[in-house]
Amino acid sequence: MQAFLAILQYDFLQLTRSWISRTWVLLLVAPAIFWVIVAENGSELASETMAFYVTTTLAPISAFAVAILASSAISGEASIISDSILSRSVTRTEYVAAKIISRIGFTLIVYTIVVIPFTYLMFRFAVDDTSFGGVALGWLVLASILTFLAALGITMSIAMANVLPAVLTVLLTIILSGAVLQFLGLSWMSTTAVIDQLPQTFRGETAVWEQIRVLTVFSSLSLIALITGTFVFRNKDL
Amino acid sequence: MYVVETSDLTKIYENRYIALNALNLRVEKGAVFGLVGPNGAGKSTTFRILLGLQRPTAGSVSVFDDAMSPERADIRRRVGYLPTNPSFPRHMTPITYLEFVGSILGMDQKQAKIQLARLLQAVDLASAAAQRIHGFSTGMMTRLGIAAALMGDPELLILDEPTSGLDPAGRKQTIELIRELSGRDRTIIIATHILSDVERVCTDVGIISQGRLIYAGPMAEMRRLARQGTISVELEGNTGAFEQQIHSLDVIGSIRYERLGSEFHITFLGTEPLAEYAQRVLSLVDRTGVELLYITSGADEIEEAFLQRLEDDRTRGFLRAAAWAATQNLSNDFDPVNKRMGVKSSDAGISRNPPV
Repeated sequence: MQAFLAILQYDFLQLTRSWISRTWVLLLVAPAIFWVIVAENGSELASETMAFYVTTTLAPISAFAVAILASSAISGEASIISDSILSRSVTRTEYVAAKIISRIGFTLIVYTIVVIPFTYLMFRFAVDDTSFGGVALGWLVLASILTFLAALGITMSIAMANVLPAVLTVLLTIILSGAVLQFLGLSWMSTTAVIDQLPQTFRGETAVWEQIRVLTVFSSLSLIALITGTFVFRNKDL
Repeated sequence: MYVVETSDLTKIYENRYIALNALNLRVEKGAVFGLVGPNGAGKSTTFRILLGLQRPTAGSVSVFDDAMSPERADIRRRVGYLPTNPSFPRHMTPITYLEFVGSILGMDQKQAKIQLARLLQAVDLASAAAQRIHGFSTGMMTRLGIAAALMGDPELLILDEPTSGLDPAGRKQTIELIRELSGRDRTIIIATHILSDVERVCTDVGIISQGRLIYAGPMAEMRRLARQGTISVELEGNTGAFEQQIHSLDVIGSIRYERLGSEFHITFLGTEPLAEYAQRVLSLVDRTGVELLYITSGADEIEEAFLQRLEDDRTRGFLRAAAWAATQNLSNDFDPVNKRMGVKSSDAGISRNPPV
């Protein structure tokens, strides 16, 4: 447990000091402030403005940042894992669990510290056409998609030796999955469909069971990715 | 008690490369064991399996009488490891890194601080304690690696090429440090290809070649084997006359010599005591009228013995393969008996790894 906490703390500190994390936060916060001002001056609808912010800023920038941060979780430390960490009194499970909690936790913390003030300001300054339950569900669904992205990134960082191919694989998976799911008649599962539906979701116009279905799918996919990654890492030669 | 014990340890990478070939290694408690072998012999692979960083393809490995696996952090808690050309988080300083190692080991913060200060002093990194690891030289990295390996005051210390990349002063300091660390119930295993280092600190030595342990025994025995039959002399004067008569020192064909300027390294292949051969060399010096500047039994003795073992191993490769095939046949023939009686092939007088 001691080793787990030490690695968790070490990794979290690394993430907070990373220039990618800082740029990510900056690129989310600045447009959010801009859209709050626009919404107030133009008397825009809160649901539409928030959904537009997600489509143009939050989703693409976060996808890119999370893919990099998660995909470098283990492969980014390849040279020091065995020499500095796993040759000491650390189990593989402790190490990978600390990495998973740190990377997913960090993603969700950044997401929360941007989304909560942004939502509050939109409620206050835009024309509020949202329902509290719809907004909560909408943000929750987006959080589950980001969690899946982070989980997939961590798994790729275990499976691949280099960071760049892992990042590209994660991004390509997300981009191509839309087309593949549409072809399979499962377009409701694609991230594009979820984001397109956000204005209605924020207004509480979509069925709750549909959102729960999306939540369940992405949570299950995250769990499968993490279990697979942990299994591979535990059996890997370092 | 054996601190480390491997049995038929085999590692094959992706069915392509045999890194370890039925390695049987035993290291006793309190020993300073030198694992010597050329590059690619399997030293680092052995260490990585001993630490649970890699899994063996076949065979078993036990450390402190417990089977090692990647999940055995409790065993690794008692082991300190220095890898070859170690890598550390580059943004950290020696202090923050050693603090991190201390927290992984579950050390109390104050206790860790005391320990790291003591170790940084011992490895001569106190002046660089606040510098980022990013700018460290190879030697500094190695010294930091030694400090990290010693953070938990381990009972078993595994050092992979501890003097690699060090200048002569750093090398001497490291050797002295290893000497200081030996004893006190601490077992040390050092992998190196610098034989003089092994000679200076090790109590036992093992020679590994192509993934097999071709020799293992006390250092004194290795020295005895090395000295056997080799005399080196440095002469001045009519060395040509001396060289012409070298073959008269023993029966024809039982003498091999090498001349390096005024130095002669004479190897006697006969079975008489070394003192007798030394006497004959001195008589020849006297007869030929040359001036003797220096005489010793063996030159670069450990190197000679090491190379001799490797050469023997190579030339016996075919014999070994034949013996192994015979063993397999016999084992198959006797399998029902062995199974019934619970006798291993080696117990039945059949060695799977014929002695070299």
